[in-house]
Amino acid sequence: MDRDPSPARRRFDPPLPAPPAALRRGPFRPGAFRSPAHGPRTAVVLGRWLGAALLLCFATGLISHLLQDPPGWLAPHLPPRPVNGYRTTQGLHVIAGLAAVPLAGAKLWTVYPRLFEWPPARGVLHLLERLSIALLVAAVLLELFTGLLNTLQWYPWPFPFRQTHYWTAWTAVGALLVHLAVKAPVIAAHWRRAGAVPPSVPPPVPPPVPPSVPPSGRRAVLAATAAAVGAVTLTTAGQSVPWLRALDLFAPRRPGTGGLPVNRTAAQAGTTAVPADWRLAVDGPAGYLIGLGGLRGLPQTTADLPIACVEGWSADARWTGVRLSDLLRRAGIPAGSAVRITSLEAEGPYRVTEMPAPYADDPLTLLALDLDGRPLTPDHGFPARIVAPNRPGVLQTKWVARIEAV
Amino acid sequence: MRILRGALLLGGLALLACGLVGLLTDPYVTGPLGVLLWAAGLVALHDGLWLPLVCALGAATTGRPVLRGWLVVAAAVGAVAVPAVLRAGDDHGNPTLLPLPYLRHWLLFLAVTAAAAALAALVRRSVRKARPRGR
Repeated sequence: MDRDPSPARRRFDPPLPAPPAALRRGPFRPGAFRSPAHGPRTAVVLGRWLGAALLLCFATGLISHLLQDPPGWLAPHLPPRPVNGYRTTQGLHVIAGLAAVPLAGAKLWTVYPRLFEWPPARGVLHLLERLSIALLVAAVLLELFTGLLNTLQWYPWPFPFRQTHYWTAWTAVGALLVHLAVKAPVIAAHWRRAGAVPPSVPPPVPPPVPPSVPPSGRRAVLAATAAAVGAVTLTTAGQSVPWLRALDLFAPRRPGTGGLPVNRTAAQAGTTAVPADWRLAVDGPAGYLIGLGGLRGLPQTTADLPIACVEGWSADARWTGVRLSDLLRRAGIPAGSAVRITSLEAEGPYRVTEMPAPYADDPLTLLALDLDGRPLTPDHGFPARIVAPNRPGVLQTKWVARIEAV
Repeated sequence: MRILRGALLLGGLALLACGLVGLLTDPYVTGPLGVLLWAAGLVALHDGLWLPLVCALGAATTGRPVLRGWLVVAAAVGAVAVPAVLRAGDDHGNPTLLPLPYLRHWLLFLAVTAAAAALAALVRRSVRKARPRGR
């Protein structure tokens, strides 16, 4: 922000009166914060790291949202390849989100003295800018907090997670871009270590530093933050990165021990006891009912496809069953059709899902009967489940009862 | 620079409005006030309680960069680990959720990193004693 606005600018940015100086106490006192590491160079370096993490979260989150809940015009164009696409983007989403926890903490510590700048608002524009920062901080804290707790399936708040996380992400990124626009001169001035400080931004007066302390605590702050990011990543990323599994101490999921993780058990879905006369209904011009014996009598296909969850974890599995496209052609449903899949579960937001045509036609998309060479267990979707490449786990419908063209 | 700033500002305001309008009109978000209260509560806790605590700890550990670094790492990992510790065992009957001994892992992590930090501080001190800086 320019400190000496032109007369034209003053017209739409009238100065605001400063509060009485007697109120300038506590953290508002000049020199209340003494660490030289609170300077703008620290903020710029940490801001770059945090900005990269947040933008990566936003991009991968958008991909996840579009795969999970595509608008009508996009659905016929969703790609079933690469097979590991969703596990990669969503794994990165959670890794970057967890890395953003220490980054946001360090960034907010660095700029904490700015919260107490005096006067609190020099003018209307300055007030608006500070309000946009309040919005940015609130949105980022809410995103990190709800995202972290969602990976634990912990929902102590009264609002729905997915929609709130989604819309708050747009708010956060919007506020971030506004913040970048406002701070562009400071960012440019401190982009490089030895960057010259422009005259409009007076350099912070370094307070006298005791001789035992290095001239700048900046490097110590950056090193500690980098170590914190490394520690958080190494102790949690094992849930999505197989070769980091040995270091995984705190991830809420552990693929590889105790078999393939599940998000919703048969007991939760009310599908522990499948009716003895279960038969799959495939509705179409030549619709039919087919039992488990009939399905096992059809040509079987084996495919290695990951289960990749929106909560970040993913695991490889070997599935055997009937190609979905084979089942659809038998019912007279032509290639290029989107299908609706209904589960046996009595309720749940994903009881009925729609599968766009590119997935339904894909030779790797199976109605799976076996997992790793053994019949499905109730928790994994007995008697039959859908598994398709590059799809969020919640759409890999378990306990399938009916398949029909949309 | 001016064009870039203008584009960033307008684009940012557009996304911001998009997010706020979406939040207010989404049929599933029936109580946007609850979202606002939780967001404001997080900011109040972070800026009113957590950061003053960090600043106090920072002031109490002036001149001890290794200890400070360890505190930063422990706080960051704690932010991720403590919710799992608090939540351990509450798996809604799903044994594949939170399957690890999180409390034991958390104490182990603190102990190992504290030992490493103590070692680093000792080495640092002995190096500084052996090579006093010219003043």
